[in-house]
Amino acid sequence: MKTLLCLVPLYLLPLLVKSDVVLTILIFTFVLSILAVGFNIVFGGAGQLTMFHAAAFGIGSYVTFLSMLRFGISFWLGFLVAVAIVILISIVIGWICFKFRLKEFYFAVVTLAFAELCRLVALNWTSVTNGTLGMLVLEKPTVWLPGSGVVKIEQTGPWYFLTLVSLTGVLIFAVLLMRSWIGRNFSAIRLNEDLAQTLGIDTFRYKLLAFTISNVIAALAGALYGFYTGYIEPAYLAVTQSLDAIAMVLLGGVSTILGPVVGALVLTSLPHLIELPAEMRVAVYGMILILVILLMPRGIVGLFAGLLKGRVNAA
Amino acid sequence: MNSLLKSWLAGACLAAAIPNFAFSQTATVKLGQIEAQTGPNAIYGYMSSQGVPIAVDEINKAGGFKVGDTTYKLDLLAVDTRGDPKEATIQLKKLLEQDKVKFVFGPFLSNVFVTIFPYAQQFNGKFLMMGGGTRIHEFVGKPGNEFVIRTWNWDAGPKGFGEKMVDYLIKTAHPKKVAMLFQNDSGGKILGDIYEPIFKARGIETMTEYFEPGTKDFSPVLAKIAGFQPDYLFPGYSDAALYDIVRQSIEGNYSKKFFLVRGSTGPGLKNKDGLEDYIVYVPKDFEEAEKKEPKVKHFIDAYKAFYKRDFPYDQAPLCSSSCYDHVYMLVAAMQKAGSVDDVEKIRTTLLAMTYEGMWKISFDDHSEQVFDFDIVHLKKGGAKEVVHVEP
Amino acid sequence: MLQVIVGQILNGIILGSLYGIIALGVTMTFGITGIVNFALGQFMMIGAYATWYFTDLAMLPFPVAVVLAVVFAAAAGLIADQALFRFTRNNLVNGLLVSIGLISVMESGALLLFTTTPKNMDVVISGSWSLGAITLPRMKVVAFLLLVAVIGLTWLGLSRAWLGRATRAYAQNPEAAMLMGVPTKLLQTGVVVYSCALAGFGGALYASLFSLEPSLGGLFILKGVEAAILAGVGNLLGALVGGAILGVTESVGSLYLPSAFRDAYGLVFLVAILLFRPAGLFGSQK
Repeated sequence: MKTLLCLVPLYLLPLLVKSDVVLTILIFTFVLSILAVGFNIVFGGAGQLTMFHAAAFGIGSYVTFLSMLRFGISFWLGFLVAVAIVILISIVIGWICFKFRLKEFYFAVVTLAFAELCRLVALNWTSVTNGTLGMLVLEKPTVWLPGSGVVKIEQTGPWYFLTLVSLTGVLIFAVLLMRSWIGRNFSAIRLNEDLAQTLGIDTFRYKLLAFTISNVIAALAGALYGFYTGYIEPAYLAVTQSLDAIAMVLLGGVSTILGPVVGALVLTSLPHLIELPAEMRVAVYGMILILVILLMPRGIVGLFAGLLKGRVNAA
Repeated sequence: MNSLLKSWLAGACLAAAIPNFAFSQTATVKLGQIEAQTGPNAIYGYMSSQGVPIAVDEINKAGGFKVGDTTYKLDLLAVDTRGDPKEATIQLKKLLEQDKVKFVFGPFLSNVFVTIFPYAQQFNGKFLMMGGGTRIHEFVGKPGNEFVIRTWNWDAGPKGFGEKMVDYLIKTAHPKKVAMLFQNDSGGKILGDIYEPIFKARGIETMTEYFEPGTKDFSPVLAKIAGFQPDYLFPGYSDAALYDIVRQSIEGNYSKKFFLVRGSTGPGLKNKDGLEDYIVYVPKDFEEAEKKEPKVKHFIDAYKAFYKRDFPYDQAPLCSSSCYDHVYMLVAAMQKAGSVDDVEKIRTTLLAMTYEGMWKISFDDHSEQVFDFDIVHLKKGGAKEVVHVEP
Repeated sequence: MLQVIVGQILNGIILGSLYGIIALGVTMTFGITGIVNFALGQFMMIGAYATWYFTDLAMLPFPVAVVLAVVFAAAAGLIADQALFRFTRNNLVNGLLVSIGLISVMESGALLLFTTTPKNMDVVISGSWSLGAITLPRMKVVAFLLLVAVIGLTWLGLSRAWLGRATRAYAQNPEAAMLMGVPTKLLQTGVVVYSCALAGFGGALYASLFSLEPSLGGLFILKGVEAAILAGVGNLLGALVGGAILGVTESVGSLYLPSAFRDAYGLVFLVAILLFRPAGLFGSQK
């Protein structure tokens, strides 16, 4: 929990930095961190490699917006509708996968298949989703603040705090979850599933739980992302989105709390820091990924944690 | 006296050492470009990102351009959106807020435009965005959206090139049935929406099928279309798919007559012995134009010298949007308006002028570009007929 | 109508052989090195572009170009193995990520060299064979026969030749194989290189049939992985059958249902199969 104190300076940042560009990059970082943290719960926590989180991300955007449009409700209520749908879908898919005891690789492929199916539905159900043309989101989330009443989140500043507070909330939840007996069961499953089974842990139930929680968090990220960019399209559910999240988690450090956030920050800001011709930038991105996997398997945060421990031990 | 001379000399040396700006009146005008240079949709940003730097380089090498007493050079800030709306948002913010750019070329991609539009609209009156994207059509010309100008022609409407294409098709071929095969993305969907009514209004029966972007094997969908027994196949939307569609349609004996409003003559030429008819809209047939139009030849030579590679004849027609000509046109507008800052004045001047570069470019009262184009008609064996149309 | 369906079944089988050769590469790599090499699609791309280059630009005869392309792809595979995959043996996740990184690097390399403009090889064998209303382009049939031949030879090699038997022994029981003197490191590298060569060969034939873009690898690796799983990872001839099933499902599916959903048909089929036979159609239940 103490590591979360690292977030405090981020709350003070807007006082020092006036550049809208930097704040925008950070907003995207926070939202994608939420997605990454969600993924880390099912992957770094329970050890299941899923490719469904991009679909949950996209479903979060679409359902929240469509609910607001059709039922005239607020952003948060629309999001609750999205949560309900994501939970339902997660249970169905998770049940199918885990009941049939699909092991790691097959689980990844089946979740990928389902994610692709969701994407194709979004792409072709034009009457509802406007298909490939996507949907323009003109509504904004509203928040009740003491003193100001109900406020619409429109400018960069309010978005910054909304996303940062959301991220903080998700991180606190993740920490509490992993520390609880639920989290310990996740870890047991990750370390040795068969052993966990013999110890009496209902692996089916916990894997399903981890999968569902991860997707709900992804849906939150999706809702925020869609409303911030003001545009929702089927590409949000694409494989590449899932792969980006995985890359962020691995770069930052699997099974660490802040790892996904660090990974998200690096990968979101990287394209804007490297001044290279476009094709070269993609190549550099790929090389960084490769180097991190080979040289820093525990990610950036893992590396630092290791160094710190090393120093303490040496002293 | 000695010390006076010394200090005079020192002063002169110092003055000579100070960089140029203190003495000559050369300033810069920033030009932003926001296109997809890489990524799956890079083909739509390719020609613009190739053509604009050539124009900028030429103008600067010639010493810049004069507006009033000041000579200006162009500073090109071209960013690669990779076709990702998220990237485009950040990059546009950088261009407008950090770099204080007043003139932006692009985007050609509709999904990028739609995402950056709400943000860009906040700067209405402070900058100009000139892009060719199809969906820009929905936004351009409306009050509050003065900043956006669409630098490509529109298929439908009185000056629509699509209408003229269909008229030509009817005149030369009298088809009764046309089958349309488009990519299942925004570009393809819009084409379906535009052309179905155009054909219907002329009493031609149509059928429309969509294929998944990235499809390479068109055999199933071509077989499906063959059941409709169309006179002409109307495929879209980018060359990548067109090469495969035309080839497979001919090889599989499905349809040998083609009508296109996007893409190039490439697929037709490659399959010239197998096809029966190939009618395509080309902003300009560069191979022919190179022989007859000096400005086109100049551009081709400049391209080869600048990039030291072959000239992409089949992609070049896309340089009719936010490309080489437009840089010169913008500069001409600034000179005529007598300002490089007064965005509104430059805008009205630009929209009112006609520029004769490789194309004859002007704008309609909807702020959409109007230009002359070619209809290339290929017959079996490769016999080519080029009809020039001036709307 | 029947002729149309038959035509599409044939087309699907032919297309499936292309999926099948990638699937073969996937299945071999997974069986011996324990990772899924997602970058196999990129090696296919290398094979395709190399073939195009040698045939159209260097003006070499097509068969020569194909051989050169395969050598190229194999060499690239060797480099990738020594530099990267060597460190991710049996680590599925790391192997996956290294593959993804490799994909970015290779695709941008292709973009730099060839740009995004599609390339089209000049037709090698033109014309089609017709049987009633069914028309099959000659090149497609030739490509199919070549692919089946290569896959068949691979299977034969693995079941008869000593090296092949050693490979299968290793796949079944690594420790025992090592004790019997099987050179495991060499074997693993060999398999990676061979699967890249297979992908390169697939790419070479692809170039004779379709247009080339730097992004062609992505689509085929997904199909290859699907086909491999459908058949059961580890089953070699099954890879070809898996590819064929996938190809046919897509082609026939597109005839009756919206072709925009083409990719979905294969996926739905795959999920359905996995639910009832988690090890794939021909896989052995452990």
